Amino acid sequence: MSSTTFDFSPLPEQRSEVYGPNANYNQKRCQQLAQEFFRDGVRRARERNERQKEVGKRLEDPKLQPRREQIWAHSGKLEAKYLRFLRTKEGLSNYENVKTIGKGYFGEVRLVRKRQDGKVYALKRLVKTEMISKEQLPRVRAERDALAESDSEWVVKLFTTFQDTTSLYMLMEFLPGGDLMAMLITYEIFSEDITRFYAAEIINAIEAIHKLGFIHRDIKPDNILLDRGGHIKLADFGLSKGFRKNHDSKFYQDLLQQQQQPPSLSYRPQNRNSVNIDEISLTVSNRAQINDWRRSRRVLAYSAVGTPDYIAPELLTYRGYSFEADWWSLGTIIYECLIGWPPFAAEHPHDTYRKIVNWQHSFFFPDDIQLRPNAANLIKSMVCNSDNRLGRNGAAEIKAHPFFEGVDFNGLRRIRAPFVPPLTSDVDTSFFPVEQLPQTDNLLPAADNGGAATDAATSSSTDDALTPEMFLPFLGYTFKRFEKSFV
Amino acid sequence: MSNLFSGINARLRGTSNKPGVSKSPLTTPTDDGHQLHLPGNLSQASQSSTSLSSKLPPLPASPSFSQSIGILGAGDEAAGSYQLPKPIPLWLNPAYAKHIVKGNFMTLSARPKTVEQGEWVAHQVVEHYRNLWNFVRVVYDKEENGRTLCNSTSCPRMSAGPNHSYTWLNNRLEPIELPAFEYITLMQRWISGKIDDTKIFPSEASGVSYAHNSQITTVSLLNGPDEWVGKRSGFPKEFFSICQTIFLQMFRVYAHLYWAHFVEPFYHLNLEKQLNSCFSHFVLTATALDLLKPQELEPMQPLIDLWAANGTFPPGSKAYECANVKAGNILLQLAGMA
Repeated sequence: MSSTTFDFSPLPEQRSEVYGPNANYNQKRCQQLAQEFFRDGVRRARERNERQKEVGKRLEDPKLQPRREQIWAHSGKLEAKYLRFLRTKEGLSNYENVKTIGKGYFGEVRLVRKRQDGKVYALKRLVKTEMISKEQLPRVRAERDALAESDSEWVVKLFTTFQDTTSLYMLMEFLPGGDLMAMLITYEIFSEDITRFYAAEIINAIEAIHKLGFIHRDIKPDNILLDRGGHIKLADFGLSKGFRKNHDSKFYQDLLQQQQQPPSLSYRPQNRNSVNIDEISLTVSNRAQINDWRRSRRVLAYSAVGTPDYIAPELLTYRGYSFEADWWSLGTIIYECLIGWPPFAAEHPHDTYRKIVNWQHSFFFPDDIQLRPNAANLIKSMVCNSDNRLGRNGAAEIKAHPFFEGVDFNGLRRIRAPFVPPLTSDVDTSFFPVEQLPQTDNLLPAADNGGAATDAATSSSTDDALTPEMFLPFLGYTFKRFEKSFV
Repeated sequence: MSNLFSGINARLRGTSNKPGVSKSPLTTPTDDGHQLHLPGNLSQASQSSTSLSSKLPPLPASPSFSQSIGILGAGDEAAGSYQLPKPIPLWLNPAYAKHIVKGNFMTLSARPKTVEQGEWVAHQVVEHYRNLWNFVRVVYDKEENGRTLCNSTSCPRMSAGPNHSYTWLNNRLEPIELPAFEYITLMQRWISGKIDDTKIFPSEASGVSYAHNSQITTVSLLNGPDEWVGKRSGFPKEFFSICQTIFLQMFRVYAHLYWAHFVEPFYHLNLEKQLNSCFSHFVLTATALDLLKPQELEPMQPLIDLWAANGTFPPGSKAYECANVKAGNILLQLAGMA
């Protein structure tokens, strides 16, 4: 037997070094794309089988006998739409720009309308070169993973991601209600009942992402969006950390180092210098000033660092953290809803950092505001050491706190929200601070000049024109969701 | 007997849907030797229905056995009678016919029951085309010095081993020999021209339909000249035969990659498992959906036999039925892996 093995070609010595840089780049690309093809293919096949099984069950159901044909046809069409979605190339030209609804250091969020079906989405665009130079790749990856894997009503839905030479794009559901920050700017302070409602919804949302294995790490009013019905959804998973994956960067460490320099704001309002907030001047009497501060913080949110107000101390000291970090953030948000400002507010982020790290000394309730004991107790049990923080044993122990007595946590989405955005159209952005944003730029270039008729191109891969530096780090970014309501 | 037919089969391959149109990739393989013989079960001459090439006179075959080696003794069953080049190519060594995925590939190509056939075929065509192009790029992209790994010196003809080379039809519908690089360029242009044409591959979400099921759906499904794959989803009458031609073209490119480039560069670049997985998935899909006929697989038959023998193709799959498991087992035995 062994003698016949000589019939095979002798094994050449493996040499990859004889190939040029392009071949080696294509090697990496090919290897990863093939791997992803099978990984995604298996995942899709599994999900598809689940759906078909479900259809099978419904077809067997005697109660549904009269609707069998409808069930069958609906399933077939839904799957077919998804297949067409997978088959067609995604690109900017498929979308018509409506307006910019948010701007950040690494890109922007635009309201767009899909040309094919006229539906409205939020399209987040991240500039590749910025992401690379600021070492934000783990952030992008984390957000894409968290959103792609979740299918929760508490998490903003990611429909698809795509890329071109300069940018990454995330097509997300548009939540027309704005965010909790805008609500706080409008109402300055919430009643205990309204606070209870939002806090309860946020608990459910955080619980949902924890169940997926993600720690959000950046829960703040700007990231809590309101849908059409006024119910909340979590967004911006750029800092979220999957427990199973490694999205780590020395993000916070670098952040802390950056704080030695003045925060670099990409966009400064004119009244920035007129705001002078420190712990002494923060009283009920100057709530109006707080709103100036909030607006300036809105601007800070567009900077690279974002606002640190709600970040748990263990994240800043880099001594290890876990799921309970998000419950600290909830504590500070409840504080802000009831008091009017977050507990560690300061004019400069680095002062806020210091206050958070020294929270034992800097945390207090203002003398002139009386909170009910249950509310104050709840806040204190979350804004505290991670070792004895409420929530470290799961969301259930927060839900059981007397502050939430009588709350039906499973029925929250069915009750009427305290604030239902009165919308005039599907592109109504009254609840976004669009007036602060420059609307004229060239970020969506060719998309607007109607040259989209021929853009259903499917075959040539989207990234053919990409150079290795602009492609390799972003491999595996592309994602397409099966969506029951899609199209 | 079967050996004689295999050469004819090769010449009969190639289909076209619009015989009058120039630049269609209607091709006729030319044979200059018979070292690779079909197993007996595949020996019927192919019936390529609308093939223009079948009207072309068969080219004279000139079998040369000098460089070939018989695995089995002449007296053995006809079933496993390969004549392979010596030494046997690396990609037929079972140690290098492995994969990056475990488990049953069939789940990836099995049509969900409610999905209309045309829709599913269109999806598979696009997925496999993207996969294939991924590998083609490795041999096809220019280095800084302007060289490509697959070039007119390395591959003066579009070939799949010593027995098969494929020609392209020029504007006068004459078969012409081309360097593989140029053939692949034409092939890519032709396929993307089809896939990007929304009259052939409709992309509007509103146009979708669903599979017929006599137990459930009442929509009558005609069985006649007025019914075709994908009709109710808006695919044109010629859609399925276009897809068959696309698959045939893609098969030829895979065959060229195996025969000409498996070692240089795929083995050297550690991509052989990836190539194996994509190609075996391609064969499973093509056979399951009738996009390739069994006899069209001939240039890669030994690998298909090997994959049937080593479990890559599960018994019951059409790919398995196309294989000669005995012959595959012999390859396993040769490698001491049976």
